[in-house]
Amino acid sequence: MSRTSANLPFTLLIAVIVVAAGAMPALSGTSFELSRYLTNAIGQLAAFAVLAISLDLIWGYLGILSLGHGLFFAIGGYVMAMYLLKHSFVVTGTVPDFLQFMGWKEFPFYWAGFDVFPYAFAVAVAVTLLISGIFGYVSFRSRVGGVYFAIITQALVYVAMLLMFRNDTGFGGNNGMTGFSVLFGWPMGTSGMITALAVASLLALALVLVACRRLVGSRFGALMLATRDDETRLRTLGYETLRLKLIVWCLSALIAMLAGMLYVPQVGIINPRVLSPELSLEIAVWVAIGGRGHLVGAVIGALLVNAVKFWLSSAAPDIWPFILSGLIVLVVLVFPNGLMDLAKLRLTRPMGPRRMATELEEARP
Amino acid sequence: MSLTAILVDGLTVRFGSFRAIDDLSLAIDYGEVRAVIGPNGAGKTTLLDVISGITRPKQGRVLFDGGLDLTQASESAIARAGLRRKFQKPSVFEGLSVRRHIAIGADVGFRSRLDAPALEDRVSEVLETVGLTDQADRLAGELSHGQKQWLEIGMVLASDPKVLMLDEPVAGLTDEETERTAHLVRALVRPDRAIVVVEHDMDFVERIADRVTVLHEGRTLFEGSMDRVRADAAVVDVYLGR
Amino acid sequence: MTQKVPPLLLLGLLAGALLAPASPVRADSLDRAALVQELCGDAGAMGKAGATLVTTAAAGSAEDREWAAPLARAAIDRKLACDEAGAMLDEGGLDAVTRAPRAAAGTPRSPLLSLKNRPVFELADAAFALRGSPAVAQRTAALKTLERRPALIPEGLLEGAAAAESDAGLREQIDTLSQTAALNASDPAARIRAIGRVAENPSRRALTRISALTADPAYAANPDFRTAVDDATRRIERGIAIGDTLATLYNGLSFASILFMAAIGLAIIFGLMGVINLAQGELIMIGAYVTWLVQQGLRHAAPGLLDWYLVLAIPVAFLATAGIGIALETLLLRHLYKRPLMSLLATWAVSLFLVNIVRVVFGTQNMQFETPFYVSGGVPVIGDFIFTWNRMFAIAFAAVTLALTWLVVRKTPLGLNIRAVTQNRDMAACIGIPTRRVDMMAFGLGSGLAGLAGLALSPIYSVNPQMGQNFIIDSFMVVVLGGVGTIAGTVVAALGIGQINVLIEPLWGAVAAKVIVLLMIIAFLQWRPEGLFAVKGRRK
Repeated sequence: MSRTSANLPFTLLIAVIVVAAGAMPALSGTSFELSRYLTNAIGQLAAFAVLAISLDLIWGYLGILSLGHGLFFAIGGYVMAMYLLKHSFVVTGTVPDFLQFMGWKEFPFYWAGFDVFPYAFAVAVAVTLLISGIFGYVSFRSRVGGVYFAIITQALVYVAMLLMFRNDTGFGGNNGMTGFSVLFGWPMGTSGMITALAVASLLALALVLVACRRLVGSRFGALMLATRDDETRLRTLGYETLRLKLIVWCLSALIAMLAGMLYVPQVGIINPRVLSPELSLEIAVWVAIGGRGHLVGAVIGALLVNAVKFWLSSAAPDIWPFILSGLIVLVVLVFPNGLMDLAKLRLTRPMGPRRMATELEEARP
Repeated sequence: MSLTAILVDGLTVRFGSFRAIDDLSLAIDYGEVRAVIGPNGAGKTTLLDVISGITRPKQGRVLFDGGLDLTQASESAIARAGLRRKFQKPSVFEGLSVRRHIAIGADVGFRSRLDAPALEDRVSEVLETVGLTDQADRLAGELSHGQKQWLEIGMVLASDPKVLMLDEPVAGLTDEETERTAHLVRALVRPDRAIVVVEHDMDFVERIADRVTVLHEGRTLFEGSMDRVRADAAVVDVYLGR
Repeated sequence: MTQKVPPLLLLGLLAGALLAPASPVRADSLDRAALVQELCGDAGAMGKAGATLVTTAAAGSAEDREWAAPLARAAIDRKLACDEAGAMLDEGGLDAVTRAPRAAAGTPRSPLLSLKNRPVFELADAAFALRGSPAVAQRTAALKTLERRPALIPEGLLEGAAAAESDAGLREQIDTLSQTAALNASDPAARIRAIGRVAENPSRRALTRISALTADPAYAANPDFRTAVDDATRRIERGIAIGDTLATLYNGLSFASILFMAAIGLAIIFGLMGVINLAQGELIMIGAYVTWLVQQGLRHAAPGLLDWYLVLAIPVAFLATAGIGIALETLLLRHLYKRPLMSLLATWAVSLFLVNIVRVVFGTQNMQFETPFYVSGGVPVIGDFIFTWNRMFAIAFAAVTLALTWLVVRKTPLGLNIRAVTQNRDMAACIGIPTRRVDMMAFGLGSGLAGLAGLALSPIYSVNPQMGQNFIIDSFMVVVLGGVGTIAGTVVAALGIGQINVLIEPLWGAVAAKVIVLLMIIAFLQWRPEGLFAVKGRRK
């Protein structure tokens, strides 16, 4: 958490990220140059790490589990895809596949202006704030929390998925959107672009990490933890916990949106499957494995789980679900604080698994 | 400022068909320590819940300082008006240090309004009062039960409340800790502050209370000094059974 | 619900009612010799014979029809051999009148049907085939022949055929043709009667048929006819509206039944332990797969009982899923006491595991289920509303489950313990209730109920490894709406969500229905955050 003992891992992690970001372009052309695949993978992992931070912020520090964070990730991703398609169309004249598929002559009216990135970005922020703000306000106002909140957010992302699966919404429907060719005037798919995107994602990760670190270390961060531990207690001390939760919730949604914007140009496609409840649950698993309430843990969890997933998805795709479920069981039963427990165990005397689990019991239900 | 800190007027609270508080009226004055006692289910904690805005009554009102109707105000607004409460079950933030607790209690707001040295002074002062100076940097989750009780008391009194509600402050404490708590409560008495204590420990109540209200089945059974309470036949009936 | 009699009976009565007013000219007794003689006569005589054959097919006694049927066929095929002594049916050397064997008298001659007479004989032949042929295919073919000349069909033929018809599909076709024939009859009174009869069975098809008559010259010319058509249109439209409403309610009720079965286990477990079991959908799926396995087992071990697999699978599905639930509780959730969010993740891991293990073992395709007679077909009630037995099965199943669950929770020691632990776990533990054991049993009960839900929906929905996800979100919504751990809340919420879903679906589509249900639930939580039937109490 915000105590000094966590300073070293945090500094180390930031250093690794920044060095990686600096080294990647420096190595190009040398014999140490990373393959395009690896560079791209690192960039995607960084985007997932940002996503994990967004969830850790509200789950680890505020005690609110969202099983619908894929929704905000998808908002960022879809808006980015819209920008890329419209921009590519303006520059190269390529008509997007989904327009041809639907037999539409031109973009729907709400695509107007999406070739201008600042506008697209503003729309992404506005939509994210609107949805997270309204949903957060009505939920927190009626004091919906815990498991209720988790399953309602899951329903939210599920419904959004059904909506986006429809082909007549003008967002690519079932097939989603792909075929991005130009980003900020530069052709996509080149080694340079791949490296640039990976570096940008790493830098964004470092930035988000430092910013969130400052937030949770502040008085505001202490109030977040207080809300998590006993909200009624804090409220009866005179604090408007509704406003506090709403601020953090919207901030978290914005970070998830940012992750989506970083992710889509690197993976080259967006479709409604990012809205499946499974992805949103997986985010929670990254955070749980890394350790809730530890920003470093969330990042490492996201990197580790996704690295294994990347590797397995080519080596043995059928095994992945079984490994994932095994990991979850391991984490919830033996290491309730995820990798952070492993780190702690090294320093203390050995003990049996049952004892370990009770020792490591999370601070509060 | 009126003389009466809390005026409860015709209050009824129902949970389903059960009347937790039944047409209750009472007044608590500034400068006094008022103990509210009664058997389990008499409505003591529910009364505090209504005063602190957690439970909304079916009927009646609760006026603070002759003005603000607490039954219409939010929990946080009530707290900001100067009414603070310690809960029955020690409610502290396990992930925060003792020092943070007092700072959060002393100064309401997402950003601190007091300047750093002033806040620091206030925190040290309160830590001294509740005797937790040595524990200042420990996490609340690591404290003993008694220390948690005092930490919560420290947290609620750090803001200089006008009304201080203590729900079973000595439950689960050792005799020595109870003794210390009694001293602490008496030391908190001020002419512009009302202290309401809900407690089962009669000796403790006798030591701290100026007046005692006995609740039974959501109504006032008796009101007066502890001596008279002990002498009252109806109260003895309720407590000891017939 | 396992009887097939009511629909048959109903249709029989219906056909009887149709038959009664159309009492045809009954040929008291057929003069067989005269008929044969006419068949061997000139074209005019043969024409009369053809008409007699047609009348016989429509209104003759069963013996006469059986006797006359070969004659029509023989005349068409030129296999009737006319000789001095009358006529012989060629092949068997039988006398055409007596059907006794005899030798030919003189040189036989086979008369040729004239162009005018041929259709009459073909009509007669088809009419005999429709009423007397043992094979459905032949009767269907005969009906096709009759359909070509609706105006020639004698009154009473189709009604008689319909009454005797055993195949439901063909019977419906006969009825349709019978109405068409009557509607196009030459006698206006007969037409008006026919219009009235069509209106008695309102449906969209009937409406099309009647509204086509507004273009008929008689509509403009004959005021009685017009009144009859207009009245019939109104009656049919009203019938369709009623039918549609009933159909919506019925579909909503069956969807609600499935939702209830999926959600009741969830609600009991949630109320008791504060755990939302994300694997509940997969337990439903397992229930359906166990049902399928029971079906396959019966197919090999006892094919005679195959039809009863849905009933025989009830204990198997319940016990199998209850076993999985108990294992889940003992191995995982017991160790996550008071950590509901971690429990949520743990149950998701289980759901992930179950989906993928089923996928590996059975593949991703839909499983094939037999349709036993008690869940096939249905009774047309009014308009286009058909009271289908597969949905009735789900509804009845849910009703029985509701009753049993209520009994278990209200009247058994286990139920008492469950209620005690739900209300106050610590207090229950203090008075000696083994709370962990209660947790385990309740989890088994809840999981078993999910398995039964899987069984009940297998005749209606497709069964595949992903099926659980189609129900789980909706059943969560039922639990959220109904409130924690109340049976009544679950019933009401399931009915509400089921009906709202089917009400909205035809208007704006299934996706909009889900969106609107979710928005309504979020709005509802503003008003009652604890759900419909939550018990209020003091903060603990």
